[in-house]
Amino acid sequence: MRVGVEVGGTFTDLVAVEGGRVVVTKVPSTPKSPDVGAFAALTASGIDLARIEDLGHGSTVATNAVLERKGATVAFVATAGFRDLLFMQRHDRRNIYDLFYAKPAPPVRRKDCFEAVERLRADGSVETPLDEAKVKAQLLPALRDGGYRAVAICLLNAYADPVHEKRLSALIAEALPGVLVTCSHQVAREFREFERASTTLLSAYVQPVIDGYLHRFENKLAEAGFKGRFTVMQSNGGRLPAEAMRQSAITALYSGPAAGVVGATRQAARSGFKDLITFDMGGTSTDVCLVQDGRPSLAAETEIDGLPIRTPVLDIVSVGAGGGSLAWVDDGGMLRVGPQSAGADPGPACYGRGGTEPATTDAHIVIGTIRPGAFLGGRMKLDGEAARRAFEPLAERFSLSVEQAASSALQLADANIVRAIQLVSTERGRDPRDYALVPFGGAGPLHAARIAEELGISTIVVPPNAGVISAYGLVASDYTKFDAVTRKMKLDDTAAREADRVFGEMRERLAAQFAEMKLPGTLDYTHTLDMRFVGQAFEVGVEIPADRLGSLDATYLAGLFADAHHRTFMHGANLDRPVEIVTLRVGATLPIGGAPKLDRETLEQRAPEQAKIFHGEAWLDCDRHTAEALAAGQAITGPAVIEGYTATTWVPPGWTAGLDEADNLILRRTS
Amino acid sequence: MTMNPIDYAVISQALIAAAREMGVKLIRSAYSTILREARDGSAGLMDRDGNTVAQAELIPMQLGPIGETLRACLRRHPVETLRKGDFLINNDPFEGGQHIPDVFIFTPIFVDGRVVGFGASVAHHLDLGGGAPGLNIHASDVYQEGLRFPPSRYSFEHDWNGGSFERLVTANVRVPDLTIGDFNAQFAANAIGVMRVKQLCERYGTDKVEAAMHEMQDYSERRVRAAIAQAPKGTFYGEDAVDDDGLSDEPLVVKAKVTIADDSVEIDFEGTCAQVKRNLNCPYSSTLSAALACVKSVLTSPDIPYNEGMARPIAIKVPYGSLLNPRPPAPVRARMIPAYRVFNAVMKALAQALPDKVIATGFDCTTAFCLSHLGEKGYSVYLEIFGGGYGASKDADGCDAVDSPLSNCSNAPVESLDIDYGFFRIVGYELAPDSFGLGARRGGAGFTRRCEILHDDVQLAIYSDRFRLAPEGLLGGEPGQRGSCRVFRADGRVEELKSKAAIDLGKGDIVEMFVGGGAGFGRVVERPDAMIERDLADGLLTRDPRDARKLAAE
Repeated sequence: MRVGVEVGGTFTDLVAVEGGRVVVTKVPSTPKSPDVGAFAALTASGIDLARIEDLGHGSTVATNAVLERKGATVAFVATAGFRDLLFMQRHDRRNIYDLFYAKPAPPVRRKDCFEAVERLRADGSVETPLDEAKVKAQLLPALRDGGYRAVAICLLNAYADPVHEKRLSALIAEALPGVLVTCSHQVAREFREFERASTTLLSAYVQPVIDGYLHRFENKLAEAGFKGRFTVMQSNGGRLPAEAMRQSAITALYSGPAAGVVGATRQAARSGFKDLITFDMGGTSTDVCLVQDGRPSLAAETEIDGLPIRTPVLDIVSVGAGGGSLAWVDDGGMLRVGPQSAGADPGPACYGRGGTEPATTDAHIVIGTIRPGAFLGGRMKLDGEAARRAFEPLAERFSLSVEQAASSALQLADANIVRAIQLVSTERGRDPRDYALVPFGGAGPLHAARIAEELGISTIVVPPNAGVISAYGLVASDYTKFDAVTRKMKLDDTAAREADRVFGEMRERLAAQFAEMKLPGTLDYTHTLDMRFVGQAFEVGVEIPADRLGSLDATYLAGLFADAHHRTFMHGANLDRPVEIVTLRVGATLPIGGAPKLDRETLEQRAPEQAKIFHGEAWLDCDRHTAEALAAGQAITGPAVIEGYTATTWVPPGWTAGLDEADNLILRRTS
Repeated sequence: MTMNPIDYAVISQALIAAAREMGVKLIRSAYSTILREARDGSAGLMDRDGNTVAQAELIPMQLGPIGETLRACLRRHPVETLRKGDFLINNDPFEGGQHIPDVFIFTPIFVDGRVVGFGASVAHHLDLGGGAPGLNIHASDVYQEGLRFPPSRYSFEHDWNGGSFERLVTANVRVPDLTIGDFNAQFAANAIGVMRVKQLCERYGTDKVEAAMHEMQDYSERRVRAAIAQAPKGTFYGEDAVDDDGLSDEPLVVKAKVTIADDSVEIDFEGTCAQVKRNLNCPYSSTLSAALACVKSVLTSPDIPYNEGMARPIAIKVPYGSLLNPRPPAPVRARMIPAYRVFNAVMKALAQALPDKVIATGFDCTTAFCLSHLGEKGYSVYLEIFGGGYGASKDADGCDAVDSPLSNCSNAPVESLDIDYGFFRIVGYELAPDSFGLGARRGGAGFTRRCEILHDDVQLAIYSDRFRLAPEGLLGGEPGQRGSCRVFRADGRVEELKSKAAIDLGKGDIVEMFVGGGAGFGRVVERPDAMIERDLADGLLTRDPRDARKLAAE
């Protein structure tokens, strides 16, 4: 049996799959000790732990440790002259007109930052040897006196050769056993010292927390009779065994959204869709990701609380548009939606918990797509009158009817999501019309058709159980690890051969790591070269097709690069400029084999009912179906509403909907 | 035409997103360190009359007067005479431009044969010729500062991409690969803006897009007028000064008289000193930009989009022939420095009306730091911009070590400089303890950046300020520290440079550039103990201000 347990901010979701049978459980999260909620979900599901072969876990422990500043007491060590790296940052401001601007605050004080005398050159050669005598006389006593739990080391140019970082780390480990030491070359072997230092510091900061959490979790599992493999989700969309994660903590950040993308990708693949734009619309925000040929796009960097993290993550863009997002009028008279949210408490006005501001969910009730009596399969009753009342002030302000005002708010929420999708598609040189839209999260399928129309997308794939896709992603994801090496070389045939050679080394290293994690099997590799025109500072990642490896040459690589550059920047395709390779990346994936099948949670079947939906400028008569009552192959013509247990789908005029063999609801545009 | 609020909200947000995308792509496909690392460039969308509609929030100084710069072009080349494939270019400080290195390029957006607006971008170019690589601090007129493009029209197809205009530029600059590369990044950024606006016109109709462009300006105007209406009425005075003109020791005084009326503001710079013989003159566009940026920062919340509507309620008067509106052919390269005194003088005036909304004076300088070396393969030029510490406010300490308010340049990663330059290396980059003014809230800390020179025959050119006149505190706050630039010669001598200087360096010399901190706000006796103790523990403060108090009490 495979089980996924995903700890979210509000709910902890569990998906268990065995043979053709699926168990879905939702319990409230326990933010203070997330493992309590996770075990409550296991208990509630009634699963015998001894029968679980594979337990995938995702949690917000790492993210919360940073956001709430609850990581380890950590010291930072830099090259002499650069102890302030983390405070200098990049010397810029995020908001240029803010007089009271404050920089993002790293989770370390200046008094906890130290220096080591040493310097490498850009090629890794030694300019100033590490002054070990001084390390022993000054640095080690200071670290001992500070009582630090962890030490982060980031030395200049260590990406080119980690010789000094390794030596310094050994000296500290020897003098201070029990202190966790994290070096920059271990977490991000790339140039740009501030970004690498920030990544190293955050990694050292969360590592003891993750380590302790997973240790506790493993012990509890063992006590309960669990004998299977315990794995943890990463932000790059792949899993790692828990013991490996305890040394690679930084990749645990943002694992929840990544699990959702993987779950949606796997489920859409069952229906044969591989080029996708996924969007996960929850209570406060929507996460968007582009998937190419079944593989979610990666970004080389992300940030948390304004601090950069240089590690491969799924390229997910988040916007403040969710079911709880509030509609409001700013002091220039412009209607806006979000990013303020009604949250879970008081929640939208229709929750009847004292909220009076109009939220997106209220708008759906006003226009008729959500029935107050049928929310979450009828388990939660909503107040339809309160929803209407909430929109009355806006209607009056803009001389609109209440339903027009609600419909306007929804259009604005859609526009926010459309812009997020454009960010991951058109701005990256991809045409959204070539992709299928995969909505999930409670609110996604209600908004999908209109968003698709805005973007010219003609196919929508709504997965079954759209509300628990993230937990499903945990049991459906592969094992993944990435390696990157900065090696600046002017692109010529010698460099191309060298790239081939370094790729080989990196593959060997990754294979050894998988062996060490006791994960046997044939690995799938992806190879990326970050290249740029000589003189540029930002690289464009170019994926190298597997069949060209071993025979790379300069002309071929230059052509690949020019195409990619032109796609993104609209120039450079025919410029006769020299090109250079900057960073080589290899991703290794151990496929888990066939993804388990996700079925629908069954609601009580009933015959279609009549419904009135406000669409465009008029009320339309249409049918309201239950997803359970649809037979595979049956085509429904819009306008129609299809209610499921965790999500409702809106099929507007000009669209048809039908359930396929994979239990996905496929919407197609007909006009 | 009247718009429904939804179309307006959707189109206006899409225009702002398009401008932002232009800015991102300008920086990410650029070549020179000054544009790609320091991000000294900006981008925006304009309407067909030359008004700013939306902008990528990069460099406040460059953004403010883009409309002035484009309208100067349109006066020569009216919009109805433009043809597809044309572009407009302008860097003329006396025709709506700012200083020679900031080159503005405008690409008309044609929809159904009619211009509906322009994609605009500006980049600080590393070198455009002139009397010295990157920065000629000795220039006594604008001709010595580099190649001047008066407001002009060219055809991209005929004149660029190997055409005559491109070859003219190539032949007159020292690092043509970088400069032409950066021009191409500008053309590409404009092309993206053009494409996005065309897509919007296809989707929503040109009428609606143009109506949204106008409404966006009206919207910003309404919000600024609403903010002004809340402010106390009256006339307020502020004054600050540039250290000197680099020739004599005379401070260059900038005076601002700010009158807040019902829903408009007038700023008069009468009484400001006359223009000077070196590059510290501030063209009209730059003066306007600095004054507007100050008023916007103080009066309005950061979410109000900056566009031409912002400027409508604010009238600016600048005497011709003064430091802030010089006659040609005055040199203007270091115009950011007087522009900061415009910002400071207006801020000091507004402080009297709105003490809760202002900040004390910060180090507020653009320090341009330029190293160059002529090797066998041609010139190698390194130029960086340094800020300092921000001024403190009623509730918060000033921001430490950050670019100053009118600019927003990033530092270049030390590791990227190690890769790109062989003739120097950065050996220190640290916060400067005690560099800020204390107060109930302290100013932001300044910093030092130290460079070791690795070859002989390296030239250093800098312009900076506040080496003599410290930033003043507000409501009892103490002044911030003054800046300095020292050269530690390989033979042990130490040379103290002036704030505007050029000097030859040799192997083994170390240059230490120190930019000071911001001034304090309120009296230091009101500073909470916890804040003092934190700075003491962090080594940012080396003496406890309470000791002096205790001594005085005894």
